[in-house]
Amino acid sequence: MRTTEMKRALVGAAIAALAFNASAAQAATTTATAKARILAPLTIANTSDLDFGTIVSGTGASTVAVSSAGAVSCGTGLTCLGTTSAANFNLGGTSGANVTISVPGSVNLTSGANSMTATLASSASSLTLGASGGSFQVGGTLSVGANQAAGSYTGTFTVTANYQ
Amino acid sequence: MLRMFRAIGLFAAAALGVAASPASAAGDLLVAPTRVILDGSRGTEVVLNNIGSEPATYRISLEIKRMTAAGGLDEIAEADVNAAERAALDIISFNPRRVRLLPNQPQVIRVGARLPEGLPPGEYRAHMLFRAVPDAAAEAASAPEAVKAASGGMSIALTPIYGITIPVIVRVGDLDAAAKIGDARVADTRDGPAFEFDLARTGSRSVYGDIEVTRPGASEPLLLARGIAVYPEIGSRTVSLRVPPEVAAALKGPVRIRYSEDREVGGATIDQADRVVK
Repeated sequence: MRTTEMKRALVGAAIAALAFNASAAQAATTTATAKARILAPLTIANTSDLDFGTIVSGTGASTVAVSSAGAVSCGTGLTCLGTTSAANFNLGGTSGANVTISVPGSVNLTSGANSMTATLASSASSLTLGASGGSFQVGGTLSVGANQAAGSYTGTFTVTANYQ
Repeated sequence: MLRMFRAIGLFAAAALGVAASPASAAGDLLVAPTRVILDGSRGTEVVLNNIGSEPATYRISLEIKRMTAAGGLDEIAEADVNAAERAALDIISFNPRRVRLLPNQPQVIRVGARLPEGLPPGEYRAHMLFRAVPDAAAEAASAPEAVKAASGGMSIALTPIYGITIPVIVRVGDLDAAAKIGDARVADTRDGPAFEFDLARTGSRSVYGDIEVTRPGASEPLLLARGIAVYPEIGSRTVSLRVPPEVAAALKGPVRIRYSEDREVGGATIDQADRVVK
């Protein structure tokens, strides 16, 4: 709870500072001497990654799911180690602003010639920002093959916050 | 009080900076304003700022999105765009398209429209995407994890590439539009309770504005939502606004729903309706 409040304070402070920067940039491009245009901003910040931890594969195919709250469920036959987390994004902007969230349904992970897929799920498909912005999380389910080769698997996925 | 608040904010920044994984600090961004409307060929400017703690390279591009009946925005692949959407991509010009920014360094993106002769009247729209390009340096920095993984098991590194889209709308000719508020209800969605109503649109352009839900006799609005659009590709959409359970309970009963234009353009009422929410 306390962390949440601190994060909100941080977002609020960041917006205040940036709104000032934005108008300063505007002023720099005009010739007027005393002119300020205040623009409504939208910010997005990534504060944690989607982390499945370390997985030791088993003899059968299985899955590892990380919920949007970051909790892990380790499938039968797998060994899951380390801390897991869901990806978190903080949005800042005008209070009451409606923002839709796009996250792809799945992502491909590769390690050399080996690959795995993960399905992704966002905690919200749209958000109405409050006075201190808003946040959403992305969790996922990783499909681990039978005797999946060890290695470091990497992949990228796109997340966009869309203004209407 | 305000000073105390700021102090806490700074302290939080320091604390979180340590707690959060260092790779995720690159790529945070700010975009302002959140909507661009071009009438004729006069251009405008959009500000992009790097609000992360590391230098980052940002790419700016145009995408076509179509609104769904549920109010979402579906991305349309460039191969599948129709003639009007193709025209939008062709007439909207912007510069620069790629920029490297230091932390807290703003950049102005110039946006304009080049209208060819004989372009039919209508609303042409694309969505401008601002997104950080993953750094080769950052990827190399996460490589030591491979060594750790080789000792047994798999390590997974999923990098989000995240950004913001804002609509860029070019209006050609005299266009008009009207909207009508339909049935309202409190619904249980996958995301939790939501206040929902139907919003129908007629005319040759989009409608855009703010929603205010009030209870007759009460001064404080029950619900405020800004930036609700109905785009020309659809005649009607559902507006679904997530609300906390206590607000959902308070919304039941007689309410007045007002859909008004953006405050910046006068805030005139587009439509207003009295509904009984079940």
